[in-house]
Amino acid sequence: MAEARPAILVVEDEPEIRRFLRAAFVLEGYRVVESATGRRGSVDAGTHKPDLAIVDLALPDLDGVEVIRRIREWSPMPIIVLSARVQERSKIEALDAGADDYVTKPFGIGELLARVRAALRGAVRPASGSATLHFGSAIVDLERRMAARGGQEMRLTPIEFRLLAALAKHLGMVVTHRQLLTEVWGPTHAADTHYLRIYMKQLRDKLEVDPVRPRHLLTETGIGYRMVVDE
Amino acid sequence: MVTTRQWTGYAWAVAAVAAATLAGWAMHPRFDLVNIAMVYLLAVVVVALRLSRGPVIAASIMCVLAFDFLFVPPSGTLTVDDAQYLLTFAIMLVVALIISRLVASVRHRAAAQAALEIEAETERIRSALLASISHDLRTPLAVMAGASSSLAENGERLSPAERRALAGSIFDQAREMSEHVAKVLQMTRLETGAIRIDCDWVALGEIVGSVLARLSERMAGHRVIVDLPDDLPLVRVDATLIEQALGNLLENAARHTPAETVVRVRAQRKEDEVVVTVEDYAGGLSDADLERVFAKFHRGKAEGAETGIGLGLAICRAIVRLHGGRTWAERIPGGGTAFRFTLPLEEAPAMPQEPAPD
Repeated sequence: MAEARPAILVVEDEPEIRRFLRAAFVLEGYRVVESATGRRGSVDAGTHKPDLAIVDLALPDLDGVEVIRRIREWSPMPIIVLSARVQERSKIEALDAGADDYVTKPFGIGELLARVRAALRGAVRPASGSATLHFGSAIVDLERRMAARGGQEMRLTPIEFRLLAALAKHLGMVVTHRQLLTEVWGPTHAADTHYLRIYMKQLRDKLEVDPVRPRHLLTETGIGYRMVVDE
Repeated sequence: MVTTRQWTGYAWAVAAVAAATLAGWAMHPRFDLVNIAMVYLLAVVVVALRLSRGPVIAASIMCVLAFDFLFVPPSGTLTVDDAQYLLTFAIMLVVALIISRLVASVRHRAAAQAALEIEAETERIRSALLASISHDLRTPLAVMAGASSSLAENGERLSPAERRALAGSIFDQAREMSEHVAKVLQMTRLETGAIRIDCDWVALGEIVGSVLARLSERMAGHRVIVDLPDDLPLVRVDATLIEQALGNLLENAARHTPAETVVRVRAQRKEDEVVVTVEDYAGGLSDADLERVFAKFHRGKAEGAETGIGLGLAICRAIVRLHGGRTWAERIPGGGTAFRFTLPLEEAPAMPQEPAPD
């Protein structure tokens, strides 16, 4: 019988950080595999086949982004990046290279655990994303292309549906501007961020109770967007 | 190579000699030759005060020649009847050289003095930085060391509630310290030009939203009102930096006004720029403080126990300046302060129209 507890690979060179991560993950019922270097981590990802990887961006031997690329060559496992505040650029690089989410150091363990749970949940969902999304009193059915708010039917444009679908594929996780633009408008529009700004405003006006303080369509400043729905 | 600036110097020297010659011509022959020599000397002195060594020497030689040729008998030749005038020539040259030397050394000393003052200012900022860092970083460190050692040494004798409180304060202090360190690093990066701004189209509404989400705990005691027109145009800025700039203004407002008071965020289009404002309605600043608050390590009187590192507004100003905008503070009649910054507007690129949903 296969081991039921999900396994998490931690690629991090700081032993103190590995220590508290291990303690927290074990308490939550996960198995933990630790790698202190990028090369070791790339190998461990293959031999241990973890359910999720946590990769520090600043590794001594190999760039964290490179570790992500190597894992992505053969595995769709969720990857969460640990980054310092000054690494804004490499954070986006890591996400575009295939990382699913990030946590900025210093972080509280609660924040990381929430990201891990969201990523593991996303990994077991079908690739098309869940069909029905709940935003408070608003409901969007991606499959039947229908939307309603407070029981009242509401119209969304085809692009608005596509944008919601792109975000729903990574429910609870961050999706970069580039990823969204490529997926919704096509690769020739990968840099047309103003499209996103305008459509996200439209969607928030339609779906959020207070569009300035969104609870479901969240902005990750300088990086992208994150969709959170009511379970 | 002779630069344009040096040529200008020589031109002035010629002009000064010409002026002295005209004056001498007007005085001649009602005044003694000695007085005319004095006029030339005056020209040389003026040139020596204003110009560099080359033009000064040129001016004194020209003066000697002009004086000799036009006034010293026999006039119209460079021949000198009375050998006394040779002494006059020599004195004119020497005076010119002495004065130009004196002026050069005074200028040099002034430059050295200015450099010293800059160094003193740098030193003052550096010691303010050290004082600030040692206080703002040492206090949280002391709490963290004390609380964590209590947990490590007496953990099992403490009640769960006490343990939770100690661990909680370690976490809070670590977060605060991380904020302080981030601000010091950010200020350093902004000042040394080590920051690359990465501009893209941004909706200010989104920036306001993400700042409010990030600062939700810190702003929890205040009533935050957001006032953004629906048709606010997109701006082309570095979203991360502008988020910081706005966040610093909000943190500042929350820190210096009592709980339960209103903090208002506005943005308005004004011709070719957007004015972003954070208003609070408590207290107010003196005229001097309206500008001083933007200085590094300036700290106002904090309402609560928590004080900042005194960099928030300075960082805000540096970020806005990088974007070609301005920052300032105004008193609000009836009490309170409005902190404003501007961002230049560019014409937003076109966007294909999507037909309305059917």
